[in-house]
Amino acid sequence: MTGNLHVGLAAFGAAIAVGLIGARASDVVGRNPGSSTQVMVQSILSIAFAEAIVFYTLFLVR
Amino acid sequence: MTGCSHAVSGSRVLSTISESNGLASFTQRDISGMEHALPQHAVEIARPFGFPITNSMLVTWIVAACLLVFAQTATRQMQQVPTGAQNLLEWLVEGLYRFLETLLGRHLVDRTFWYFASVFIFILTANWFGLIPGVGSIGWGHEVGGHFVVDRPLLRGANADVNLTLAMALVFFVCWIVWAVGENGVGGFFAELFAPKGESKGVMRLLLVVVFFAAGCLELISIFFRPVSLSFRLYGNIFAGETMLDTMARMPYIGWLVQVPFYFLELLVGLVQAMVFTLLTAVFTLLICQPHHEKGTTT
Repeated sequence: MTGNLHVGLAAFGAAIAVGLIGARASDVVGRNPGSSTQVMVQSILSIAFAEAIVFYTLFLVR
Repeated sequence: MTGCSHAVSGSRVLSTISESNGLASFTQRDISGMEHALPQHAVEIARPFGFPITNSMLVTWIVAACLLVFAQTATRQMQQVPTGAQNLLEWLVEGLYRFLETLLGRHLVDRTFWYFASVFIFILTANWFGLIPGVGSIGWGHEVGGHFVVDRPLLRGANADVNLTLAMALVFFVCWIVWAVGENGVGGFFAELFAPKGESKGVMRLLLVVVFFAAGCLELISIFFRPVSLSFRLYGNIFAGETMLDTMARMPYIGWLVQVPFYFLELLVGLVQAMVFTLLTAVFTLLICQPHHEKGTTT
């Protein structure tokens, strides 16, 4: 079996980050359901930035 | 024609990237060997008059044509109380407008709505078009070990080709500069990037000038990296989704069943990625065009 360690590590970190963001976002929407649109915008942005790390490693790192 | 020249030059960029990439060579080896894997780049299917046409370009044109025809037929006979296609289109456009208005504010959304709405609708349609059965499975191939393997599919998800996503990201980059200079003026544009914010005096002021200039230089790097990350994010998600569906379908005996939940996941990913691209470009625009004159409207 062959592969790249850096992609695995980046995916590991990004998965944790996405999980944390999602957990906190649903936490906040549970406390304050009216804020769901704003929270969704923020969390989608943060998730996008977190998962971008995986794409950088996929495409840019040797 | 400009879009096509983007696509051609982008294809060269991708080939240099995949040549220098361990992952790509790994995939290439798999194709030549016994395992079959989805190629990372779109495959050329025709070359009329020496102009290469890839399967992703074909899907791009089909999607664009479908959208044009739909918009034309939906608005041919406009009614006061819309029904059917006109209702769907109005719901989509109005929903997008309200959503972007809460994010960007009235003034900015009037100026930039055409880009964000078109990009959202186009990306969403292209992503979902790529999920229609037959896309990626009909094409030219050859017999391998008793069963037929398609290695040049006629159609391929439009965003599973980095040329299209890069072209959209570069168009946004140019629009971003135009909007930023239009909102702030040339001097204001550079002031927004490099000049210190807030009130301060004396030595503190001097220190802050240095700090904000350094921060502006960092900001500049991140700005120039935006087209790369925007295009790779969309391409990576869609290409990864297609690879996953491909792998699931190849599972022996139960391939037809295990890919069903992933099709639903891909429907969701297609929507989320269209939203992420639109949202990120909208937020980048908002960051540089902060409305100083109308306070409290961008909640």
